[in-house]
Amino acid sequence: MRVIFVCAIVAAVAVSSAGARPVATPGVSSTEIHLGSSVPLSGEAAIAGNVARGIEAYFKYVNDKGGVFGRKITFTYLDDGYDPGRAVTNTIRLIQQEQVLAVFSSLGTSNNLAVRKLLNDAKVPQLYVSSGATTFGRDYKKYPWTIGYIPPYSEEGALYGRYVVKNIKRPKVAVLYQNDDYGRDLLGGLKRGLGSRVSSIVASVGYDPTSADVQPQVTQLKASKANVLMVFAFGKFSLQAFNAVSRLGWKPQIFVNDVSSASALMAIVPQNAANGAISIVFGKDPAAPLWRNDKGIRLFQSILGKYGSSVNSRDLKDGYFTAGMATAYTMVDTLKKAGKNPTRQSVMNAATHLNEKGNPFVLPGIVIHTSPSSRFPLTQVRLQRWSGNAWHPFGKLISARPS
Amino acid sequence: MRSRLWLGLFGFALLALAVAALPRFISDFRARELAIVGMYFIALLGLSILTGYSGQISLGHGAFMAIGGYTTAVLSVNGVYGHQLRALWTIPIAGVIAGLAGLLVGLPALRLSGLYLALITFGIAVSFPQLPKKFDHFLGGTTGKILELPKPPFGLATTTNNWMYYLTWGIALVLLAAAWLLVRGKAGRALKAIRDSEVAAASSGVDLATYKTLAFGISAFYAGVAGSLYSIANAYVNPDVFPIVLSIYLVVGLAVGGLDSLLGLVAGAGLIYFLQNHADTVARWINYLPALNLDPKQPGIPSMIFGAVLIVVMLLLPTGVGGLVRHLFGSLTTRLYTRS
Repeated sequence: MRVIFVCAIVAAVAVSSAGARPVATPGVSSTEIHLGSSVPLSGEAAIAGNVARGIEAYFKYVNDKGGVFGRKITFTYLDDGYDPGRAVTNTIRLIQQEQVLAVFSSLGTSNNLAVRKLLNDAKVPQLYVSSGATTFGRDYKKYPWTIGYIPPYSEEGALYGRYVVKNIKRPKVAVLYQNDDYGRDLLGGLKRGLGSRVSSIVASVGYDPTSADVQPQVTQLKASKANVLMVFAFGKFSLQAFNAVSRLGWKPQIFVNDVSSASALMAIVPQNAANGAISIVFGKDPAAPLWRNDKGIRLFQSILGKYGSSVNSRDLKDGYFTAGMATAYTMVDTLKKAGKNPTRQSVMNAATHLNEKGNPFVLPGIVIHTSPSSRFPLTQVRLQRWSGNAWHPFGKLISARPS
Repeated sequence: MRSRLWLGLFGFALLALAVAALPRFISDFRARELAIVGMYFIALLGLSILTGYSGQISLGHGAFMAIGGYTTAVLSVNGVYGHQLRALWTIPIAGVIAGLAGLLVGLPALRLSGLYLALITFGIAVSFPQLPKKFDHFLGGTTGKILELPKPPFGLATTTNNWMYYLTWGIALVLLAAAWLLVRGKAGRALKAIRDSEVAAASSGVDLATYKTLAFGISAFYAGVAGSLYSIANAYVNPDVFPIVLSIYLVVGLAVGGLDSLLGLVAGAGLIYFLQNHADTVARWINYLPALNLDPKQPGIPSMIFGAVLIVVMLLLPTGVGGLVRHLFGSLTTRLYTRS
């Protein structure tokens, strides 16, 4: 009891002595703009943390060229081990301790969901969320301080659906999907894209993200005699799915979702299954031969080589770094639009009035466009097909903007 | 024995003083960090009763934290018959429900020991995250449940972080005192007897079944309270908030703190928080060593630092921080007593 009493007294003293806060915009000084992010640098998803390292290198490059209105961008990114609880602590640290202007490009659906309310209550911009969950762009009425970045998963699914209807005769579609929001977002989109042909889905099997292997699911799907297979699986599960297809001697037209289509991953699965697989693409892939002499990719490699911390030659072909630079490019644009004396409000305003052409790290022709009621910045994609150990984009840019 | 009593009382008073005074000297955010250390400490107290005193190993205490966290989330978000409870009042309920789950797990523990028990409890840690996915309408699935952000009650004029700090450490001190009373008394002696030799304990009249299940129940109660506080502080639960590795971290904290040293557990709790969240600081220290240049921002490096520090700590302090303190002060008091 006495302890609690002492505690109460000390608490009262501590609080009464707390000083008044400065009125200036947090994270903005005459020389600096401070942004923060929470990303996995440890745990299963650690490799995706390279997105933040790409961002950091790009900001250093911009700083070297004079910064934004003379201010240098400081970028603090903290490790959350892909654990939403730690993402909350990191985000609170970014707001309170680091006093950032905005939280930018934090990674993971759950991790961003966990801090969305917190950031919106504190009126801190939650910019360019690194997740394709549709909710981050759609639910702006409830969460006005949040905006997504990459095309929503549901629209990706719908694109595959429309492609199947248009290009495959008598399609019989089998779907392997991760049994969580991410997999179901894709599956729901696929059904919408198939429209009146939705009955062409002859089998759909979910797997749990903690399961060991998806071979049983693939075997089950093969038994449906489908000629199309949707792989809405993540990381190692996608790899296992290709392995199983190859081992079973099955020859469906495979569609593999964007987040599992990294060239590094596709190159190590059995090529008899991988060849001909279709996916979407919106960023330039530094591993693709198509971009070997591209100005954007060359810029990317020179920036990363010069400003990246402890990078190796493999990193220069890592798409996570380019993805980071693409977002960082948009962020710099946003800060320029936010005016000479940016506030959280003006940054949010700029982020919802984007009209960015010529981002060197995304496909040529893509316009990154937002309005206060349309918060999906990147909604143009192309289809690409895997052959000869590389992705080859085909067809025109198509829209992935939710209607 | 008397020297240990005084040492314990002294330590408790010191901790209570430090707890009360600390927020004067630290930033608001540090208060939040220390609150989370306090939650680990509460969970470790429970684990110490189970492993340190009764000798039963649990690799599944993260799951009991999750049960506590989910109880709070369900009661304060879904509510009971549409009536949402204040998160604060759900803390004891969360403890009791986790405790009941602990009693259930304690039943098979009667027949298993050592490695086999560790495996069973690990199985619980691995399988628990499936439950919220299976019953996703009720428990929120992978999307999780969003709680109200914690606010100081009764119009207390303090920050959220300070409030979480005082709440957590207030509860921690009460639970520490309770654990201390428990292990000092008859129950504690019975538990230790079981740990040292089940046969000897049974032949001296200790009811093995009662004490072993009881130890599981109590220890799960502690974990449930910790999990409940954790979900309140984060205002969010989903299966990833209580990852499988959390159970392992708790065992790490216990080993670092010293298996049966209640006060040493503060250090254990601090270390598991620190290594997870301040790998950059550790890297800066490590880089003072010649020929080493770790970049803590490189994926994978934080995990490596965690492992390396752990190995060093366990090499230097095989009996944990508690063992070290006992060694230092123990020998001193023994010397004083033998001289007089």
